[in-house]
Amino acid sequence: MSAQHSYQAIRSRNSGAPARGRRPARTVILGMGNPILSDDAVGIVLASALKPQFEDIPGVDVVEECCVGGLNLLDAIEGYDRLIALDSIKTIGGVPGAWYAFDATALRETMNLRNVHDANFATALALGRHLGMHLPEDRRCHVVAVEIADNTTFSESLSPALEAALPRIVADVRTHILMTLAA
Amino acid sequence: MTTQISIDPITRLEGHGKIDIYLDDDGAVADTFFQIPELRGFERFVVGRPIEELPRIVTRICGVCPASHHMASAKAVDGCFGGEVAPLAHKLRDMYYQAHFIHSHIAHFYALAAPDFVLGPDADPATRNILGVVHKVGLEVGGAVIGARSKAQEIQRIIGGRNTQDIWCLPGGVAKGLKPEELEQIRPWVDELYDFTQFSLQLFRDVVLGNAGYVDLIVNGPYTLDVHNMGLVDQNNAPNFYDGQVRVVDFEGAEICRYKAEEYADYVAEHVESWTYLKFPYLKKRGWKGFVEGLDTSLYCATPLARLNVADRMATPKAQEAFDEMFTTLGGHPTRALLANHWARLVEMVQNAETLKRYCDDPEITGTEFRVIPQQVTGEGVGIVEAMRGTLTHHYTCDERAMCTSANLIVGTTNNNAPIQMVTKKVAASLIKPGTEPDQGILNMIEMAFRAFDPCYSCATHSLPGQMPLQVDVYKGGELYREFRRCC
Repeated sequence: MSAQHSYQAIRSRNSGAPARGRRPARTVILGMGNPILSDDAVGIVLASALKPQFEDIPGVDVVEECCVGGLNLLDAIEGYDRLIALDSIKTIGGVPGAWYAFDATALRETMNLRNVHDANFATALALGRHLGMHLPEDRRCHVVAVEIADNTTFSESLSPALEAALPRIVADVRTHILMTLAA
Repeated sequence: MTTQISIDPITRLEGHGKIDIYLDDDGAVADTFFQIPELRGFERFVVGRPIEELPRIVTRICGVCPASHHMASAKAVDGCFGGEVAPLAHKLRDMYYQAHFIHSHIAHFYALAAPDFVLGPDADPATRNILGVVHKVGLEVGGAVIGARSKAQEIQRIIGGRNTQDIWCLPGGVAKGLKPEELEQIRPWVDELYDFTQFSLQLFRDVVLGNAGYVDLIVNGPYTLDVHNMGLVDQNNAPNFYDGQVRVVDFEGAEICRYKAEEYADYVAEHVESWTYLKFPYLKKRGWKGFVEGLDTSLYCATPLARLNVADRMATPKAQEAFDEMFTTLGGHPTRALLANHWARLVEMVQNAETLKRYCDDPEITGTEFRVIPQQVTGEGVGIVEAMRGTLTHHYTCDERAMCTSANLIVGTTNNNAPIQMVTKKVAASLIKPGTEPDQGILNMIEMAFRAFDPCYSCATHSLPGQMPLQVDVYKGGELYREFRRCC
């Protein structure tokens, strides 16, 4: 498997308290997913495709592969003012290739990776803020979730439906991220 | 063709866990079936790949215990190359693994177990979480939890290069050793982690053991099963999470069998049921007897509690004290009280921390001979470790070019599939009686049953919502009677 730009490298670069005074909002774009579970990799694929277009923007970091969740996810986003998480989702009746945009204020329960062994992301966020960690506000925790077909079969390929929709998704999400950064 | 849609995605999600509860004509529980999404096609995925790549691939199987799969896989790959491993590599792997155990147990206990006991199983789900724990017992606890997890993960990273998606183990050893300056960086953290294990035990004493209701729930509640126990032990029958022999002990404490890794297929077989993809391991020599309890059953648990039930003692002194306190409180060793799994994790953490201290004081730990280059391909290997949630087995074969030809895994949770089914039914039957209207409280009480096993359900996936959606369907007279959903 190819090397990925890991959140650990980003974190080690960005350790330390934010500087005082006005500064550009610092944004991290995270590609969430598992690269060997078919469509679960779509967040990683998106981040990899979009990285060249965003990595040179001042104040924006792109992490192509973030495979952690719950309390561990706090390490990936501490110090940032804005999060844009690229992820997958499965809804009953959803059409693979559709995508949804929301922020943490819209989620009743969870945002990515509670996994059954750890805290959900909303809880982890609240805990981190309670402990004084510098974390994005809920309204600045943006999620782009792509409707997928299969996330339980081991494969390094996306499903045919998602593969076919990918160019359009990349273009749409690129526009969405640009608008989010400009907001 | 759709573009952007803003919706609440939490409703109507797929890939959820499903529990079907069937009531008889009187309204009592007749049967239950617990189905969860299962990952498929792993063997097909790895066949044809270089066998030494598997330890790096299998870290993707589980997002929570990648190091467990990495270790088990590494040991299986070692076997495929003749089995010789640098002695220092075994020490380093074990040291790394202790750190992994600690932060995983911390996460589970404080994020999943503590909320039920600190806030109560009937507390509002919106507050029954680690944040609720912090609000109740103090900000210091939250900071201590985060700090301890970070230190344990950093120890892992320093030893093995990464704290997740490990790439460290190689055939015959590991890719990097531990430098003296790295050891000195780790040493004070190990002391702090030991202190945190003592803090956690004291918290458990204060909050759980100090509450007679909780103790009664643990000891006398419906969360018990008369099945056997499985775990890895050393030559003194003390728990060993990285290596040793698998020992199986019945629920009265008598040894049933013990075996080396390469013998696992002679002792464990897997039963298939038509209504679920997940298989049901059982003790092969006893044959499949169904979902039954009792001394004659062929079913077993592989959990933190099972590991302590299997052990005659702990491997380190302070862990031994914690072990003695736990089983004295529970009325003897072994115990059938499944909720004691949460306590067992805290006891294991003490051994993890003490073992780390021992390695810190080992003059050989910073040596440079941490790998031997394999000289042969023998074609088959089995690696067994204790994952945090149970005995984990990786079995590989390869051809003469060391290309994978087959892979078989028995993960921790698979071992527990039958016990989870059975305790789910037992808890449901204790709560849903004729004339009782099932409600959302049942959902949490059932969750407590299988959450005690810390089951590994598709945690390799990252699809939203992240929390496994759960659907509970209650049938009466063949018709859907009540339906409960969480996150779906």
